[in-house]
Amino acid sequence: MALPRLIFITGKGGTGKSTVAAALGHALARKYPVTVADIDRRASAARLLGVDLNGRGSAHVGKQLEVRALSPRAELESFIERIVPLKMVSRRMLKSRTFGYVTAALPGLEAFLMLDRLRILAEDAAREGGYLVIDGPASGTTLELLSVAGGLGALATNGLLHRLARELEKFLTDPESFGVLITSTAEEASVREALETASVLDRRMRVRRVGVILNGATGHSFSRAESELAATLGEHGRLMERRIELGAIAERARGRLGGAGLGLIELPMLFRASLGKKEIFELSQTLESTLAHL
Amino acid sequence: MKSALSLGKYRLVVCLGAGGVGKTTVAAALALGGALGGRAVDVMTVDPAPRLLDALGLAPDTAEPCEVELNGLRRKPGARLRALKLDPKTTFDSLVMRYAPSAAARDAVLENRIYRNLSQALTGVSDYMAMEKLLELHADRSTDLIVLDTPPARHAIDFLDAPRRILELLNSRAAALLGASSGFLGQSVKLVDLAARGVLKAFDRLTGLGLLTDVQGFVRGFEGMYQGFAERAERAQGLLRDPRCLIVVVTTAEAERTAETRGFLDSLRAIGLKADALIVNRTLPEMPSLSALAKLKMAPALKRKLRRNWDDFAALKSREAESMNALRAMMPHRANLIAVPDLGREPSRLVDLAAIARYLTGVDVGGNSASAAR
Repeated sequence: MALPRLIFITGKGGTGKSTVAAALGHALARKYPVTVADIDRRASAARLLGVDLNGRGSAHVGKQLEVRALSPRAELESFIERIVPLKMVSRRMLKSRTFGYVTAALPGLEAFLMLDRLRILAEDAAREGGYLVIDGPASGTTLELLSVAGGLGALATNGLLHRLARELEKFLTDPESFGVLITSTAEEASVREALETASVLDRRMRVRRVGVILNGATGHSFSRAESELAATLGEHGRLMERRIELGAIAERARGRLGGAGLGLIELPMLFRASLGKKEIFELSQTLESTLAHL
Repeated sequence: MKSALSLGKYRLVVCLGAGGVGKTTVAAALALGGALGGRAVDVMTVDPAPRLLDALGLAPDTAEPCEVELNGLRRKPGARLRALKLDPKTTFDSLVMRYAPSAAARDAVLENRIYRNLSQALTGVSDYMAMEKLLELHADRSTDLIVLDTPPARHAIDFLDAPRRILELLNSRAAALLGASSGFLGQSVKLVDLAARGVLKAFDRLTGLGLLTDVQGFVRGFEGMYQGFAERAERAQGLLRDPRCLIVVVTTAEAERTAETRGFLDSLRAIGLKADALIVNRTLPEMPSLSALAKLKMAPALKRKLRRNWDDFAALKSREAESMNALRAMMPHRANLIAVPDLGREPSRLVDLAAIARYLTGVDVGGNSASAAR
């Protein structure tokens, strides 16, 4: 199946979500118009693509590649402006501290509006034949975010929000519109989190999983006979053992992630002194060649 | 800059940091280090990995302090370690039960739609509940050191700031407007508040949420509990600002994390607190010298492979060094910078934690896990 219009990237902290978002944006932009958007204010995918967004706005980083910062606060503002007809009142409203507390007491509203923005952006992307790549928050926060549609929809039994909630659920469960790409390192904790996330998305939320990215896995070329010499090779032997151990951890991760019936893409560990635009470009080439197999 | 922490004069250690840096592990290791040094320690973890629970010998639902078996580790007399896992919902429930002025008020809150469906998502609830648990632990006189892991934070100081934010919410004019009538009476009504109330009503009508009544019920339900909540929030705030509280920021030496760590340090400063230590978790081992490799006798093919392996790790090490420099440059005055080398595996046994504790506290606590774990 073709990729969904919106590819939402999530995973445990430190598994390379932003790196994958940047590389995927790059890869897709070779053929389609692409927006890479950040929704947790760090805008690190944008930074990896060479733009400092400072939490707001958008910028072009290539002919078909745009980066964008989305913020729940901005969504709330535009929602209020939409439903409160008088600009003067809505502005005043948003400025008052009181309102801040009230929205804090209406949990989920900002998240809900954020999802609605994503739905609209995905529709735009579909119209242009392009894609939207979201550098999402860590898995726990992502699952919370995605479940907000159902939660708030159930609370609002009629009215605008109820209608929006139903549309949102339709969007999130439409495999052509929305899909989640999970990142993991070879480390056991992140593999476990990836598998749990994948299972919740599928069983509880009926959300399409695009696949899992095993990030930074490494292999080695030492033979068994060579590895047995490690003890005699001092510090260099220990470094060799470390590499072999990393390879074994990667192998276990491959087995567990591959056995879960999800598309598995590997992005190899880049043994480079820096991780910049050049490396992102390299990863995007790996992604481009493997995406076709998903 | 010292290279290890001395926990001696502290009664509370708070571990802050971005998700995925090993904050919970560091908290557990610090607690173990303190305990083996002869103190009675409680450590509260948030969302620990199953392996870490195994290491501590805990069941997955240990919401109350549970004694950790320290057998096989060298320890001073008086050593005691208890660990628990934060359960925000249960803590919140018990808080409501304790402070509700009547059974009716208690049930009104516990059965409120907002409370039941969304109280966990309410900004800051898990942070606030961690604070609440801290006060509970602090009240136990048998404990002389508490180590707190904190919930994963979107914003650096969510946790430290939670008591203030909850207080503000409870004291706010919004609460008054929404139905906490007793607080409202004493305050003058401003035009913007009236406008706000009108707009909120319109908002509710348009959205069909019908939540406003529930929010009112929620806020009103807490009437009579404010006093107790406020006092506790105040006390928690006091503990954090006490000179016997050690604030530790945990990070890894990766470019992405150093940017976040800078954010943490800045926001700490903004609320008048300072990190006492920066702990860089999972650093790479020191690189062996190439001349040592040249002297080793082996097949040329193996030597070439070892050289390539060295090159690979050296590249990672220099990437790490760059991040370490960035971290060093942002260190607060007189704070400790401590690097904890990667064990090469996930800590799954108490000796692994002891090995980490050794780096953190500089004291040999008998956890030479490199050999013990093999």
